[in-house]
Amino acid sequence: MENISDALLYERVRGKDKEALEELYDRYEKMLFSYLCKMTGDRDLAEEALQEVFVKVWRGVGSYDEGKGKFVAWLVTMSRNAAVDLIRKQKKPSVPLDEIAEVESTDSSVEETAEWQEKSEQIHQAVRHLSEEQQKMVHLFYFKGYTHETIAEKCGIPLGTVKSRIRLALKKLKTSLQMVQEGGVLDDKREL
Amino acid sequence: MTNVNCDQLIDYLNGTLNDEEQKQFEAHLAECPECREIVDATGELPYLADPVEPNAGMKSRILGTVFDEGEQPASLAEERAKRDSPSPPATMAKRGFRTSKWTPLVAAALLVSLLGNAYAFYELSDQPDAPTAPEVAFETVDLQASETFEGTGTAALVHEEGALNLLVQANQLEPTSGDQVYQVWLLKDGQPIPTGAFTPSQENEGAVFFSLDEDTEGWDTIAVTLEPNRGNETPQGEVVLSAAIDPEA
Ligand SMILES: [Zn+2]
Repeated sequence: MENISDALLYERVRGKDKEALEELYDRYEKMLFSYLCKMTGDRDLAEEALQEVFVKVWRGVGSYDEGKGKFVAWLVTMSRNAAVDLIRKQKKPSVPLDEIAEVESTDSSVEETAEWQEKSEQIHQAVRHLSEEQQKMVHLFYFKGYTHETIAEKCGIPLGTVKSRIRLALKKLKTSLQMVQEGGVLDDKREL
Repeated sequence: MTNVNCDQLIDYLNGTLNDEEQKQFEAHLAECPECREIVDATGELPYLADPVEPNAGMKSRILGTVFDEGEQPASLAEERAKRDSPSPPATMAKRGFRTSKWTPLVAAALLVSLLGNAYAFYELSDQPDAPTAPEVAFETVDLQASETFEGTGTAALVHEEGALNLLVQANQLEPTSGDQVYQVWLLKDGQPIPTGAFTPSQENEGAVFFSLDEDTEGWDTIAVTLEPNRGNETPQGEVVLSAAIDPEA
């Protein structure tokens, strides 16, 4: 089962193969849970969001195919949106950043595996190539649980502008990430 | 290479496109490498977080719920996706009730009232029939919670050509334990008939829809009770939500 692609496993899940779902769960539990913890600042809420994601995967809500990009990206989008909904429903103010950092760096933080470390270094490096404004957009959209409407409101920027800024930020992130992954050391001054 | 569709990427990622826009954008995504690569890059964003060890017992809780829910009638969307009509529960069949085919108009009206729970029903709007809009009377009522109950609910009643379609949606429900279910009833002069049961989702939401082929009763009340088990013909548990409805509607 380990060597089967995500997409193939997902196909099996559509055929109600429980083992396939379990394998997908095992592959992404830690990644998604870590992300959801950072986003919600709350382990229980993170678990609830993760559960919702896998309930949807199992039920075939908004089904995946390879035309939608990588399976993991599809999962991340669902996770983000599940967390955004939960945060909104709880009317829970999003957690201040320093507090989140505390949640993680104390009891719950664990040793990084080599794979995690590599992925983490790559994405951190890629993010450093974004302008401050672009980093902020990614941060608000993906880690604060803000919808683009909320960002527009909070930052006093028109919605259309917010959308194009997020898009531009993600586009640049994509480019720099690709370069990092291809092994090229990025020159900080280089215009992407 | 940016076109009009590319501009919808952020709405897509934010989950705010409507069904049609979503389909259109997904078609675009399959054709547009740039949008797809941007989406792919977002799949790496979680690695910006520090790794966190999962909660104790989390995997079995989540998978338990996932497989459990998948086998309950709540998986309507799934059933619909297969283009099958869900087989009605035994009590409904016995009484000669049917799960009706929704016309797009009715489905759309119900969806508006459903909002948060809409995903379980979204396939309903795909019904290909309904050439003309039939006469429809549409009533929604907010259900009142009993004193000790925290939940809220809404009922939508659609009278259409002598038939009654009923849809009840509830939020902030207390979780059920064991065989407990939330049971919906229609009452006339204090006489109830069961009209579907549900257990809350993980979001503590529940919904049930029900239909009566020939509705001549003139129901005056709708109620939700917390029953100790499924299938009761008369209420045995406490009423948690209820509302008066217009028997003439
Ligand atoms: Zn595009």
